[in-house]
Amino acid sequence: MPLVTRNIEPRYLCHQPLPNSIQSELECVTNITLANVIRQLGSLSKYAEDIFGELFREAGSFAIRVNSLGERIDRLQVKVTQLDPKVEDVSLQAINLRKAFKSSTKQDQQLFCRSSVPVPIDDTYNTCDKPPPLHILTPYRDDGKDSLKFYTDPSYFFDLWKEKMLQDTKEIMKEKRKHRKEKREVSNRGNLNPRKIRTRKEEWERLKMGKEFVEAKSTPEETLPNSNEICHNGSIGSDGNEDLVYRTHGNYHDSIIPPPASPGTDLPPPPPDFGYPMDVQKDSSSHKRISFGSPTIPPPAPPPGPPAGVGPAPPLAPPPPPPFMGPEGHMPPAVPPPPPPSMPPVQFNQNFHGVDAPSMPPPPPPTDQFPAAPVPFISSSSGGAGGPPPPPPPPPPPGPPPPGPPPPPDPSTLSFSNGPPPPPSEPKSKASLPPVSDARTDLLSAIRQGFQLRKVEEQREQEEKRDRVGNDVATILSRRIAVEYSDSEESEFDDEEWSD
Amino acid sequence: MAGQGDPVQREIHQDWANREYIEVITSSIKKIADFLNSFDMSCRSRLATLNEKLTALERRIEYIEARVTKGETLT
Repeated sequence: MPLVTRNIEPRYLCHQPLPNSIQSELECVTNITLANVIRQLGSLSKYAEDIFGELFREAGSFAIRVNSLGERIDRLQVKVTQLDPKVEDVSLQAINLRKAFKSSTKQDQQLFCRSSVPVPIDDTYNTCDKPPPLHILTPYRDDGKDSLKFYTDPSYFFDLWKEKMLQDTKEIMKEKRKHRKEKREVSNRGNLNPRKIRTRKEEWERLKMGKEFVEAKSTPEETLPNSNEICHNGSIGSDGNEDLVYRTHGNYHDSIIPPPASPGTDLPPPPPDFGYPMDVQKDSSSHKRISFGSPTIPPPAPPPGPPAGVGPAPPLAPPPPPPFMGPEGHMPPAVPPPPPPSMPPVQFNQNFHGVDAPSMPPPPPPTDQFPAAPVPFISSSSGGAGGPPPPPPPPPPPGPPPPGPPPPPDPSTLSFSNGPPPPPSEPKSKASLPPVSDARTDLLSAIRQGFQLRKVEEQREQEEKRDRVGNDVATILSRRIAVEYSDSEESEFDDEEWSD
Repeated sequence: MAGQGDPVQREIHQDWANREYIEVITSSIKKIADFLNSFDMSCRSRLATLNEKLTALERRIEYIEARVTKGETLT
């Protein structure tokens, strides 16, 4: 429905009620009409001023651009005249050394948002009734959401789309990482492809009768590459490591991402023995994957972990502390070792490859996960239906911590240094050595408050993520397209790309 | 009607004159409004053309600068 931009105020000149006590009505009407004409002239002049103001502003911006262009041309002119007489070096090296020319195409964004609405339409809009003042109720809410958003949320669709795009980019990245790893594995192992296909069918066969009845696989292939592989009865798979590797790269992993698989799904369509992830997106498959060559075996992250973690967390505080301290040599089957310990080393390995700046922030955040990690584990163990699937806390949130504000549990950073820090992480751990003992003593209490910590972390991570990520359509879309169509050969390049 | 003729007639006459006067004024107001609208539209279209030309020029200058600099920084 088209809205009139500028409405000249008194629309009907003569449609005014006449006062009763008038003798000469015709004259009265004439005078009233003339007064309205004057009012119309007034509103007309106001709109004319508005129109000319907008045009003037635009022309002014163009004038600035023209001036700067003129200066650039003058400089170029000088430079070109200097160039001509000199001998130009046409060596091949010079050509290669030159910076590749990239033309910057500006994309117009936010064209039709609230802030770009013309003034007269904004005035018209302001004459409407405002929505009820539900924002007064916001401080009384527990979950911290804006009360008005439940009534009317103008950014709802954009948020929805943004979440979907970010999800897609993450999934695409995961797929690429896994493909890359697959290629690496293939090159390491030779003729493993045919075997891969066979095992899939076997697995489906086994699953045919019902997931609960599948027994542990005992084929030589599986035992061969991975001693890490655990019986498929849903115990801690060793694929978590891969997940962690992937997640440490992508800094956008949500803590709530863990697939919706039920706790009892011990046997997600297990990836081939070599730990090739079958289905990146899905959920249950991400759980049990064989991880190669990873020093630690972080338990997979079951979906119910994070959501259920908040509730039953407190009663199950005690179990985690011991495994917490020595994550390294633990095999998953017995007790699900807290994944976070494994994560930082992995993360360090990855982070120290090429990116220096963001490597600092990552160490603190992963350690944040320490208190949080046991909690989801506890909660899921309480709610675990079939088998003893250790509910590893969703590694992603801790894994790719955005280089946001240093997390409050700084001592926890130091607690992390307990694990075998990879050489690059040594300088950091050394710096953090003094408070280590404090972190240890506070560990139990930190675990007990784990779920609270996790909530804060999640929020903080999400906020940081949002602050880092440009909130434009163009940025998000361009990132997603870049991920989709890029040949992601090097993880370092991806790191740089993602670390904004 | 003779009795009402003069004063009423005069009044009606006067009223018609007034109305014509008001009509002249309001039609000129409408012409002004029309002029303003068309001026606005034409100005915007010309500014948009200018914008396009400016953008094209800027891109060409960027390219030329890249060709000419040879790795130095443009002051």
